[in-house]
Amino acid sequence: MASKQILVVDDDAVTARFIASLLREHDYDVLVAEDGAHALELVERHELAMVVSDLVMPYRDGYSVLRAIRRNEKFHDLPVLLLSMRDREEDIVRGLEEGADDYVIKPFNARELLARIRKILHRKRKVS
Amino acid sequence: MHQVLIWVILTISSIFLALTILIVINKAWRETQAARHGRRRRDLEPRILSWAHGGEKSVRTALDGSPTALEKQAIEQILLDHIQRVRGIERERMAQAMEQLGFIDEYLDGLHSRRWWRRAEAAEKLGLAASKRAIQALSDALDDEMPEVRLRAAKALGQLGGVASARKLVLALNEPNRWSTIRVADILIGMGQESIDPVIDAFDDLTREGQLAVLDIVGRIRPIAATPWLLEKTRDEATDIRARACHALGSIGDPNVSPDLITALKDPEWPVRAMAAKALGRMLVADAIPELSHALRDPQWWVRHNSARALRAIGPRGLEALEKLVADGDPFAREQAVLMLEEAGRVDTRAGELVLQGSTAHTAAKLFIERVVAAGTTGRLRVLSREHPVEDVRRELLALLPEEAV
Repeated sequence: MASKQILVVDDDAVTARFIASLLREHDYDVLVAEDGAHALELVERHELAMVVSDLVMPYRDGYSVLRAIRRNEKFHDLPVLLLSMRDREEDIVRGLEEGADDYVIKPFNARELLARIRKILHRKRKVS
Repeated sequence: MHQVLIWVILTISSIFLALTILIVINKAWRETQAARHGRRRRDLEPRILSWAHGGEKSVRTALDGSPTALEKQAIEQILLDHIQRVRGIERERMAQAMEQLGFIDEYLDGLHSRRWWRRAEAAEKLGLAASKRAIQALSDALDDEMPEVRLRAAKALGQLGGVASARKLVLALNEPNRWSTIRVADILIGMGQESIDPVIDAFDDLTREGQLAVLDIVGRIRPIAATPWLLEKTRDEATDIRARACHALGSIGDPNVSPDLITALKDPEWPVRAMAAKALGRMLVADAIPELSHALRDPQWWVRHNSARALRAIGPRGLEALEKLVADGDPFAREQAVLMLEEAGRVDTRAGELVLQGSTAHTAAKLFIERVVAAGTTGRLRVLSREHPVEDVRRELLALLPEEAV
């Protein structure tokens, strides 16, 4: 059976708790990392279904996490959804060009976020 | 004497000891309170969030009845923390919880407090709590005697959004002595599309500064529906209104307005011509190349500069026009054209083509460089004649550049 474990990466603990609560409410297992470096450790250690990551974080930002995931042969196809307050066209385009599966702007609509996560997971299941 | 000294030392030591004990007790008490608050928060937060995601009608059901005063403190913090981070149904449900638990009434009372910081805090929380019911009270707080209360009320109205809030805020643009125009404009910009109608409706009642701020707000929000109104403003009798209207049109980027912007390039006032050129560049209007080329001969530097920049932005056809302008009869046009071609890297490209001996590209490059030399703006060519990696290019450039320039 495919993993339902989702990693939420956000240095803002309130946002991370909100997303985790939303996902748990819909029967997903959730791991939380407070920065990019911790996130990559968890990616290495767990078999994840996808990553929901903030963009602006200390130590390693969302782009850096995304690049590290895409460059690693073991989990280069792990879906990543970026979440950010940066709503400029160039940030969104950069995020998608760096390999994000989706980009959601903060403050986000919880149901929309959930629908996007489900869609990504559904696509992943179909591909595999 | 000796005994008195001992007494003094003992008294002072006792006071310090008592103070130290007090500080330690106070710190321990605060830490205990904080730990209890943290535990309450950890216990309550999942229940509140689960309620926000779910379908239960009343938040009290999720909380198993009415919360205690201490629980209410934690709940308030949880709701205020989360409500500003989300949109949609969850946000509405958390706003509903704040209403059901009596927080909104408390904040509305707080707006009438005798202490200004309480009024400011209440205004801020009403904005965070997304209470539509508070719009009138916050509008009234815009007239508060304390600037901080007025500002927080304005920000709160911005967060609440809505036409009524925007209407009240836009009038603040008329009072630059009481309000920072930039701050009010930022709040209105943050409100997005819903502030457009109120700011346009209020335009005629505003001072000139307020009107200019409105044009900037419209330009930043970029509503395509405001294009006809902006076009009307490009024909206003005031120069700065016409100029800002052109700028806003450039930001919106509706291609249908390019003929009007091309006309504005011939405006008798240079700020309008400069803004029209900038707008045409932002919109990448290739049809404006002849008029922009002509504007490089404008007597005003800003018009020439913006026109040259616009030609560069338009792309290959604009760069081609700039190359032709290098041989223009007007020395100012020649200078701007060369400077912009240098900035675009075109001078470097042409210099690099000197390596293609015997080709048509070589002939064209040589002709171009001769024209640049004749235009008298040879700064980049001189650098290339010293630093270009290809020796043939350096040698040919040295031959083309006049002696004294090398």
